Amino acid sequence: MHLASFIVRRLLQLIPTLLFILIVVFVLVRLLPGDPASAILGDRALDADVERINRELGLDRSLPVQFAVFAKSVATGNLGNSIHLKLPVAELIAARLPITILLTVMAALIAVLFAVPLAFVAALRRGRAADSVVRGAFQVGLSMPVFYLGLILLTVFGARLGWFPVGGYGDGFLDHLYHLFLPALTLALSLSAILMRNLRAAIIGVIDAEYVQFARAKGLRPRLILSRHVLRNALISTVALFGLSIGTLLGGAVITETVFAIPGAGRLMVDSIYGRDYPVVQGLTIALAVLVSLTFLLTDLVQAWLDPRVAR
Amino acid sequence: MTDVTTPMMAARRRRVLPRPLIFGATILLASAVVAVFPAQVAPYDPNAFDYGALLQAPTSAHPMGTDNFGRDVLSRVLHAYTIDMQIAFFATVFPFLFGTVVGALVGYAGGWAEVIFGRIVDAVITFPFLVLVIAIVSVLGPGLVNMYIAVGVVGWVFYARIIAAEVRVQKRLDYADAGRAMGYTHARIIFVHLLPNAITPAIVYWMTDMALAILLGSSLGYLGLGAQPPAAEWGVQIADGKNFMATAWWISVFPGLAIVLTGLGFSLTGDGLAELLRTKR
Repeated sequence: MHLASFIVRRLLQLIPTLLFILIVVFVLVRLLPGDPASAILGDRALDADVERINRELGLDRSLPVQFAVFAKSVATGNLGNSIHLKLPVAELIAARLPITILLTVMAALIAVLFAVPLAFVAALRRGRAADSVVRGAFQVGLSMPVFYLGLILLTVFGARLGWFPVGGYGDGFLDHLYHLFLPALTLALSLSAILMRNLRAAIIGVIDAEYVQFARAKGLRPRLILSRHVLRNALISTVALFGLSIGTLLGGAVITETVFAIPGAGRLMVDSIYGRDYPVVQGLTIALAVLVSLTFLLTDLVQAWLDPRVAR
Repeated sequence: MTDVTTPMMAARRRRVLPRPLIFGATILLASAVVAVFPAQVAPYDPNAFDYGALLQAPTSAHPMGTDNFGRDVLSRVLHAYTIDMQIAFFATVFPFLFGTVVGALVGYAGGWAEVIFGRIVDAVITFPFLVLVIAIVSVLGPGLVNMYIAVGVVGWVFYARIIAAEVRVQKRLDYADAGRAMGYTHARIIFVHLLPNAITPAIVYWMTDMALAILLGSSLGYLGLGAQPPAAEWGVQIADGKNFMATAWWISVFPGLAIVLTGLGFSLTGDGLAELLRTKR
């Protein structure tokens, strides 16, 4: 069974990745100007308090031991406490991260809804007016900063026309979706530009393949050829790209949440940076990186399902 | 015998320049001129307050209007070219150079070097780039130099990956064998002979990367983690105007258009270069 061994292999590959994430964050925290104790306690800390914090953080021990302690506490879900909010970081992240995940999933869905039909139009009418319009649109989309697009959508559809709320998250699931629509659209437009560019090229690459000609010769309906043979194969590279774009999407979510005042993990990240709440920044960096590596895993599995050759 | 076409040969064979390259290069050239001589192009001092002309809509005296301090938006947009073009260059040139050298060495050496490098690539692409940059900047403190450091730590990997893949192909071609037969040093073969034929995709990516750097730089400026106010920088300007969007849209809208235009300049140039230097394999 190829797929099973592929999944196991992929899960094993996750271990060095997770280790690397921990090392980077560990080093980052050690790069903090001054010592963490005075960063936590402020400049006028008492020596006894500094000593206590150092002991609590394990800073009085050797670096490898410190790392082991750090890795162990992260693995058990202990990410320390927020300096300002006085809450466990893990609890804060658990409350805020689902909002960010919902936002990115919505954005991804909208992006696919845009990208797939437009890529088909551009690819099937290669070199004609429709192709030029679509390609021009994605060039502009690629150069458009997320915060700028968000600000404009917010002003036009939120403040001016009043179709959507100008920020916040609302109550209840449907209200959440309503509040997240504009921010998700903002993220989706830049993502769909990336996807469309790739998918268009992939469709053009596939459409003249022999097995597609064969399907045509068999007299299959064009629609069936496109959906079953062309799209499936064109999607393989796009799914990989989609996985690679998740990091960008989450980065965009940080900005979008700031623009639209959505209380998600991204907003928490920016607020924590302003407030120098390092335990939260550290915890979020780990959580977001883990989220990305899990998404990679997922997109790899989807790829293997679309194209069994990948799993070999 | 392999029939080798170098990128330069491909370029010489074409008689007309690709249209995207002409458009893109024109935009970039104009941007560079404004970036170097902002004071000569801009009608006003970008930081001069004018309390007699607050929040004025675009007029012939102020073609892009004025902001809440009466500063001329056009002059600020033009002066911002200096910072934003610098960001595009400095945030990408070190990753480009370092990544090219590492990628060439890794691609040429192959074996265990490639295995280790592959692991590094996997690990780096797992990190949400912006999140990592924000985390690094938050530790080092806001500002442009720290942003360059943060981008550089990660950015070289992408260049190295591209170059390594190209060098891996080039080193198997006859001319590389010929170099070895002539007794050339590995360094000479890699950097004098293989690299010029392997570098095209990296240069094309460099153009895209500069557009991305401007997006990143202005995003950090918007968040208050990049260029610091009152500096004229597009992201900072958009943040300055965000509370006036309903009443004085021009403060934020024009700097954003400058970002889009410059980004287009880079990506059109990249596309055009790719077309110009494309070799048929």
